[in-house]
Amino acid sequence: MFSGPRQRGLRLLTHAEWCGVPSEASVLLCKTVSMRAGDLAQWFRCLLHKRKDPSWISADIISTVEFNYSGDLLATGDKGGRVVIFQREQESKSRPHSRGEYNVYSTFQSHEPEFDYLKSLEIEEKINKIRWLPQQNAAHFLLSTNDKTIKLWKISERDKRAEGYNLKDEDGRLRDPFRITALRVPILKPMDLMVEASPRRIFANAHTYHINSISVNSDHETYLSADDLRINLWHLEITDRSFNIVDIKPANMEELTEVITAAEFHPHQCNVFVYSSSKGTIRLCDMRSSALCDRHSKFFEEPEDPSSRSFFSEIISSISDVKFSHSGRYMMTRDYLSVKVWDLNMESRPVETHQVHEYLRSKLCSLYENDCIFDKFECCWNGSDSAIMTGSYNNFFRMFDRNTRRDVTLEASRENSKPRASLKPRKVCTGGKRKKDEISVDSLDFNKKILHTAWHPMENIIAVAATNNLYIFQDKIN
Amino acid sequence: MEVQKEAQRIMTLSVWKMYHSRMQRGGLRLHRSLQLSLVMRSARELYLSAKVEALDLETPSTPTRCPPLSPEPMDTQEDEEEASPRAAETLARCSAHPARVGRKRRSSSLSNGVDAGLVPSKKARLEEKEEAEDASSEVPDRLLPPPAQAEGAFPNLARVLQRSFSGLLNRGPTAPPTAPPARDAKPVCRPADPVLSVLVRAVVAF
Repeated sequence: MFSGPRQRGLRLLTHAEWCGVPSEASVLLCKTVSMRAGDLAQWFRCLLHKRKDPSWISADIISTVEFNYSGDLLATGDKGGRVVIFQREQESKSRPHSRGEYNVYSTFQSHEPEFDYLKSLEIEEKINKIRWLPQQNAAHFLLSTNDKTIKLWKISERDKRAEGYNLKDEDGRLRDPFRITALRVPILKPMDLMVEASPRRIFANAHTYHINSISVNSDHETYLSADDLRINLWHLEITDRSFNIVDIKPANMEELTEVITAAEFHPHQCNVFVYSSSKGTIRLCDMRSSALCDRHSKFFEEPEDPSSRSFFSEIISSISDVKFSHSGRYMMTRDYLSVKVWDLNMESRPVETHQVHEYLRSKLCSLYENDCIFDKFECCWNGSDSAIMTGSYNNFFRMFDRNTRRDVTLEASRENSKPRASLKPRKVCTGGKRKKDEISVDSLDFNKKILHTAWHPMENIIAVAATNNLYIFQDKIN
Repeated sequence: MEVQKEAQRIMTLSVWKMYHSRMQRGGLRLHRSLQLSLVMRSARELYLSAKVEALDLETPSTPTRCPPLSPEPMDTQEDEEEASPRAAETLARCSAHPARVGRKRRSSSLSNGVDAGLVPSKKARLEEKEEAEDASSEVPDRLLPPPAQAEGAFPNLARVLQRSFSGLLNRGPTAPPTAPPARDAKPVCRPADPVLSVLVRAVVAF
């Protein structure tokens, strides 16, 4: 995984760029990306010729990335309410160079902007989270949510078409009854593969505040949705009712001190879930103990180090993401400057703390000014729980190997993704003399942030979203 | 003074951000508003503690001191008046971090752990400020936000912001703010300020 004596390393597998054109055209651009890394340079030349102004519109900013349970499908949601699903090419003997790249499989508009007439507020169509359901038949199901509404989408393939109807002709027009002289049985004929997405359930009107998380339960029948103050439990079949299981809204809103920032179900125990708060605490709840889980079963908090207390301590301690390990024994939390791994059996402090970009601690004031201090970074585990990954600024992302205690900083950018070359580790110079190839803290581009990353559930393939660009890297031994 | 200036700058910035966040798409974000109010509270405490320290240095022999609450409504009111002309200037990069003295004092005065007690008292102070302003300015009906928009985490704060800005509208360019002599003479710039007029227009639009 980390560059060693053998030719190992992360190489670019697929790159897709969302561009500021209406959705259909941008899909076409994505489709042309299904090529080897060697063709990358050619494609970029072509792309730049097509448009004079290579800028993009804000609706193309990727807001969530998620692999499905098998890793064959990768779903992305963007600020414009669209969902784009990539599918992994089957490595076959006929196409030995395909190397399991990801191509666009389906694109659909999941959410539209809405208007809340009662409060005179616009509801953003930005997709906050996508979660896949485990596959039970030929179709794929996923949940996608914006600030207020969750939708269950069914993505199915159609490769056959019925021909030879009696009552209508091939155009679909109804035939004249007098013309029908004989009966025939319609036959199924193959057609070009078509992938359809249809909304099967719409779960609406259950959240007063903005939804920040959804999580599918291990029973595959229920899921939770969390907003700033409440968590609701839904059944996938029932849209007109949900159970409120956590409510931290104070009687007097002026006494509000913390909000819920993320929530997730335990991967194996269907009665257990956790939620994190803006104060840097995590609460684990057991649904068997009571109907309303306001009282936690476990409370995870690390005592604050008084020497590092500063003006912005409260803001940077806010947890932006919480993820259980695949084993279910650990969980990981991301706050502004670090990633912490917690053992579910120890509430007093995390078992591991990894600094993501400690050099920003002295820059908190300017980060407050440009609003970067409010950025919500996500984090993810690899399939075996031996490594964790999270994003940073300047299109950097960080990986931490829990066994060897080594970490690496990598950059997701076009310039650095040369064909067949491994990603070069990057280093940020924190002070003193800047070495060659190091980048100084002041040169970091804070507009280029990687908030969303995903790791294939079984292999060393990662998906990294850099604003409107999606990078998929694969670790291969030469 | 550095500490005071810095704290004031951050308070100004927070007010501006909070006001600005109400106008963005998707409505008021509860988490963001909470974080902004936390920063504002910290800045306010830092400012006050630095001010108290400054008073200490100037008058070391006085055994009794004015309670911090009574000059406060005036102070923060003036802060917010000066907030708008300074809003344009606050976007400069911050190079100085709060002075060590201010930090030490702050960490000793704050209680450890959850500062839940500070939040209600902050709101109480805001209500005092409201009362002070009620007497001083008349708010035309059209400037009051409709009830639907005043909902949210901090309705009182919203009203206070509303009134302080509309107070500026009513007060003409000829009325200088009353300043206690101990404070530094700060430039009092008024009307012909594009930032202020933009904010005033925003208030009217509300």
